[in-house]
Amino acid sequence: MFESVEEVQRRFGDARYIASRRIATVVFLAARMGRPVLVEGPAGVGKTELAKTLSEVTGRRLIRLQCYEGLDEGKALYEWKYAKQLLYTQLLRERIGELIADAPSLPDAVAKIAGQEDAFFSFRFLSPRPLLSAILAEEPVVLLVDEIDKAEPEFEAFLLEVLSDFQVSVPELGTVRAKHIPLVVLTSNNARELSDGLKRRCLHLFIDFPVPADELAIIRLKVPEIPEKLAAAVVSAVQKIRAMDLRKLPSVSESLDWARSLVILNAQALSPELVESTLTMLVKHEKDLERVKGALDKVLTE
Amino acid sequence: MRISPSEALDALAAASEVGLVDRETFKTTLAATLIKEFRDRPTFDRLFDLYFLDLEALGQGLQKALGPADPRVQDMLDRMLAEEGMELDDLTELLMRGGGSEIEMAIRASGQNAGLERLMYFLQVGFFSRRISDRFDWSSIEADVERLMRLLETRGLDPGQLARVRNYLELRLEAFKRMIRQHVERELERRAYRQGEKLTREVLSEKPLFALTADEIAQMKAVVARLARKIKDALALRQRQEQRGRIDTRRTTRRSLQYDGVPMEIFLKRRHREKPKLVTVCDVSDSVRNASRFMLQLVWSLQECFSRVRSYVFVSEIAEVTQAFNTYPVERAIEWALKGAPVDYHCRSDFGYAFSRFAKTELDALDRKTTILVLGDARNNYNDPQAWALRLIRERVKGIIWLNPEGQWGWGIGDSVMPLYAPACDFVRECRTIAQLGEVVDNLVHRWWRRGR
Repeated sequence: MFESVEEVQRRFGDARYIASRRIATVVFLAARMGRPVLVEGPAGVGKTELAKTLSEVTGRRLIRLQCYEGLDEGKALYEWKYAKQLLYTQLLRERIGELIADAPSLPDAVAKIAGQEDAFFSFRFLSPRPLLSAILAEEPVVLLVDEIDKAEPEFEAFLLEVLSDFQVSVPELGTVRAKHIPLVVLTSNNARELSDGLKRRCLHLFIDFPVPADELAIIRLKVPEIPEKLAAAVVSAVQKIRAMDLRKLPSVSESLDWARSLVILNAQALSPELVESTLTMLVKHEKDLERVKGALDKVLTE
Repeated sequence: MRISPSEALDALAAASEVGLVDRETFKTTLAATLIKEFRDRPTFDRLFDLYFLDLEALGQGLQKALGPADPRVQDMLDRMLAEEGMELDDLTELLMRGGGSEIEMAIRASGQNAGLERLMYFLQVGFFSRRISDRFDWSSIEADVERLMRLLETRGLDPGQLARVRNYLELRLEAFKRMIRQHVERELERRAYRQGEKLTREVLSEKPLFALTADEIAQMKAVVARLARKIKDALALRQRQEQRGRIDTRRTTRRSLQYDGVPMEIFLKRRHREKPKLVTVCDVSDSVRNASRFMLQLVWSLQECFSRVRSYVFVSEIAEVTQAFNTYPVERAIEWALKGAPVDYHCRSDFGYAFSRFAKTELDALDRKTTILVLGDARNNYNDPQAWALRLIRERVKGIIWLNPEGQWGWGIGDSVMPLYAPACDFVRECRTIAQLGEVVDNLVHRWWRRGR
């Protein structure tokens, strides 16, 4: 898939994703070793984007499993289309009646129906959820398990099992094994501690806020119409705000939003008034806002 | 850092994919396969630098230590050696031409079996440096240098130039010896790092809570926060399991009437879920001040985890602090509970009075689902223990857990009335160290609330 770390970096760059050397190395290893990658880091630094770009670069379909509290195996793996099964049995009531009409006794009738079980427990009545889709896929895919920390530890244990063998067993149908090992990316915002087993299984990648040079590159790439000097000013201001003690630090997606809004306002340089009026794009908490406004002169010094 | 064999194998497999050419890539590779916690990353970075010396950077540093390379002297020596066809000792060769990294490699090779594994103290550095240095054949180097100098003399170099060459070679020789010592010092750091680390952790987790410095308090905080997380995870799992149950036939049948008696929608019986109700009562008198700092940290974390926690602090008057703990961040809440809560901090602690007040005012708020967690040393300053109050409270609640920051040997001695209170409690534990606190917390989660389903 990739021949070298440099190739990863280049191809991600072509797909408009600035991958640091560290990111590229881990992606390269994951592709080579067929291992899942666990990506951690603050919100909005491009964890999910990494998986999307990976799917774009490799030309593989992206299957996304969004985790949330209460997610269970049924919603992640497969569900029987219970209502459809019932509907079919209702519609076919007469056929079933005919089938067992000549059965001399109740056990015989049961045996006859049991002989037809396959008709009702087949893939026709199975609705595959993301995990099963990834395993059933005819072509290699990228599987994104987003915000795994939002799901319960119990689900995590189950996921671990799937990720180590890439096979699941559906009791009525037997074991299904993946034709191709999918590239798996798991993301976590560290809302809780993940289990050791899962961590052991995965390659670990921590994406932090980018260094100024990378952030500048990202802004210029994603907001090409921004004047060069303004972009530099934005980066320097954002970096300074990140050094402050805030409840929620602005991340890359927020600095991009800010840069875009500045472009829309046709700004050429950052003035205190302009920053004050657009600051909500960057800082989302009331208290943080006050604090940044109080230190505006510091934020704006070059 | 805990690294399992499978992760070590992963690291090897991954390393063979990227090779050793690029140091940063190799480092990232090891980190990705071995380090799964962000907080371990700084430790990893340090260890990596100790174990995988950056030869290139080191070489450049050493190059500087070797003194400014004198290209003219070097040139002259090269030319002359070629013309004369003079054979030099390998070591002399290295000394004259070697870059920093090559020299480092040579030192390392000869240090390999110098018994460095016995290196433990700084005082041994001199000994081992000498030992490694003795393995080099200095006499042959000196002989080579002498030969060289004589040769130069016969070729008619003037004394000034001769002195320059000699000076150059001597500087390098000296730097070489210095590098040996540096190598040993680095080795010491590498070994000591490991032991030092282990030592602090062990000592720290066995140290009584009241004897901690500010720095250690900061470290402890991290541990308590981790424990709180554990509780949260364990409870989340339990609540999740409780949400499933058997089929609720009544509801399922009732709904099936809509569909001509066909059970289209299935309802599950919800198992009874007990939400733990917790009341914490924490002694904040001066005698247990440092211990209560941790207890309060625990209280705060508990309040964050459980939905129904009420917290009280007392010296002799007792006051509820739930509201403050809910609104303030942990630091401020603790400071406030230790200084600003509406209790008199200047009197002596009086458990009996506190319990009797509590029984009078709060008894109605207690019920069978409530667990009471008392944090205090039960040193009552010879006041009336009023153990009846605790017994009365016990009758109304699910249970009382008492954590005592004082060693068990002291219970009942002097003004300690622990033995009088203990019969009313379901679970009394000495909780002097962070290790014990960890144990207790695990017990709370796994035994206490599970038992009484």
